[in-house]
Amino acid sequence: MGETGGGSPAPYNYPRFDDYVASGEDRADEAAFWASPRAGQRAPDLTLTRLGDGGGVRLSDLWRSRPVVLEFGSFT
Amino acid sequence: MFVYTREAHPGENVAHHASIEDKLACARMLRNETGIGREILVDELAGTVHRAYGLMPNMTWVIARGGTVAYKADWTSAANVEAFLERFMGARGEHRPGTAPVMYATQQVEFRYPDRKRFMQRLARNGPRAVAEFEKAQQLWAQRATT
Repeated sequence: MGETGGGSPAPYNYPRFDDYVASGEDRADEAAFWASPRAGQRAPDLTLTRLGDGGGVRLSDLWRSRPVVLEFGSFT
Repeated sequence: MFVYTREAHPGENVAHHASIEDKLACARMLRNETGIGREILVDELAGTVHRAYGLMPNMTWVIARGGTVAYKADWTSAANVEAFLERFMGARGEHRPGTAPVMYATQQVEFRYPDRKRFMQRLARNGPRAVAEFEKAQQLWAQRATT
């Protein structure tokens, strides 16, 4: 495990939470949130997979006719 | 919509994703265990959508009709989102003779009260390693606070 705030960047799918914090990636991810589009700007239009049927969903197809709430998460 | 990203606290029972099949399997397990009724959308293995929207583990974004960011929060408070939607939709739908709504932006902080017991239960569900690594991370955060 590296020093606090040092070390090499953890991969996106990091295997260990303590290594992720030790590498300073948690702070980098907070910075990424603030660097992401602000209120009033265009939202990134990307494609996700629908868990129900495996089909692709383009976000702009969702927000074309109504507002969309996107909650991001995992088990924890 | 619920966007399934990466496991924030991987452990023996719910590990980090090594393949898209892993990721889809974890998303199904989450749906079956928690009974999330909303549609679940799964990001790519590399986290393309998660990266574009800011990489925090429990964010909520509201995108207005047409694709403008209306709300973004680095932590999800259902009550806060609902209150925002009520104000936002109400203002957009309101008709006042002789004027029209003009959008403006705010930035503010809010407070939350973590449910520590529930969080620790979720960590334990992921596995003992997830609990131990979170405890180590707390020590690292404490070290940072003193340097």
